[in-house]
Amino acid sequence: MAASEPATEIICQEPEVDFMLLDRIINEDFGGNRETMIMMMQAIQHEYRFLPEPALRYLSQSIGVPLTKIYEVATFYASFSLIPKGKHILQICTGTACHLRGSHRMVEHMIEKMSVSPGGTTEDMKLTLEVVNCVGACAVAPVVVEDEKYYPKADISTLDKFIERINAE
Amino acid sequence: MKIIMDGNEVAATSGQTILEVARANGVRIPTLCHNDALEPAAMCRLCTVEVDEGRGPRLVTACNYPLRRDAQVFTNSERVRAGRKLIIEMLYTRCRGSELLEELGREYGADFTRFAPNDKQCIMCGLCARVCERVGGKTLTLSGRGVEITVATAFDRASEFCIACGACARICPVQTIKMIDEDGERRILVQGREASRVKLIECVSCGKRFGPVLDLKEINERAGDSKVPPPNQGVCPECSRRNLAARMAERHFEQFETGEEG
Repeated sequence: MAASEPATEIICQEPEVDFMLLDRIINEDFGGNRETMIMMMQAIQHEYRFLPEPALRYLSQSIGVPLTKIYEVATFYASFSLIPKGKHILQICTGTACHLRGSHRMVEHMIEKMSVSPGGTTEDMKLTLEVVNCVGACAVAPVVVEDEKYYPKADISTLDKFIERINAE
Repeated sequence: MKIIMDGNEVAATSGQTILEVARANGVRIPTLCHNDALEPAAMCRLCTVEVDEGRGPRLVTACNYPLRRDAQVFTNSERVRAGRKLIIEMLYTRCRGSELLEELGREYGADFTRFAPNDKQCIMCGLCARVCERVGGKTLTLSGRGVEITVATAFDRASEFCIACGACARICPVQTIKMIDEDGERRILVQGREASRVKLIECVSCGKRFGPVLDLKEINERAGDSKVPPPNQGVCPECSRRNLAARMAERHFEQFETGEEG
């Protein structure tokens, strides 16, 4: 971003919400059924990589669930995010099995290498580091998930390859 | 079904919770997150009792444990008292200075210096969120999970849905939620943060400010009959009552001189 551009540019990083798309998710994919709210939220999050507030407001209006309830669900589940995430998401499992196999060292490695804190995003919005509790693959611990792709028995070299790939972009 | 509570057989019907049975039989079980008007939530754990349904004694929360078979219940055994003492001590670290907790602490011999304080002025009972969902504007909720639970409005901003009924402030067992009427506005403060701000109506008759200005559509909908006209928003209940009394007096009673007019 050029330095001469007005400061408002930074505030407007959130994507514009496409209400046609939301309608398609809410009414066509899930039939406007409020029981499928969590799946709708997952679909919205999949689209924007986080849950934009206007989208949740629209969801609340469409399916008649109070906005606060949606907010409660969004804050309850660690997999939902209300703040924008980076282009790539790296999840490091620190569940019991992964922790015992040293996944915290991978977390430290990422913090050091990319100067990003767990749950945080790099300044260039390229990478979000997430520390998750269990991805359900304890037999092949430690597990890292890079953009929804699972890497069993991961180690620091797995992470380095990932860092290389996103830096090359 | 035969229920023996603290050694005495008590009357109970299947499906009643332990707390209901205890209260009906005059057995006191302390609670913090329970309110008869709301669904039990078992958030505070203080109502923990020991129950033996033939498979050995277990600790359960009395407020949401339905009795369905023969059971022995111990509401004040040593194990129960020790558990409650710990719960009170831990809750007190989050809510220093709460008179309610201090009183309970004295009863159970709690040591308030045992854990380092981590004052949040909230015991996470969730009463405010539950009452708001039931009677209020569905404004307050518990965000997060586990010990990180906080009472919040959507997106942590002053809410546009609040009807300023004040149920949350009234129900809070540790007086964390405050309702302040000043300068013609009613503010609801949760842990010092403003959860909502609603203008108060001024009575056209006496000038007293008496209630929040509301979009009453939803309230009328909830009242069930759209033909019912909205309550007279301009006149406070006291003036309304006085005016009605005056009108009735005019209509039904003959005027008479009191001799002390003026």
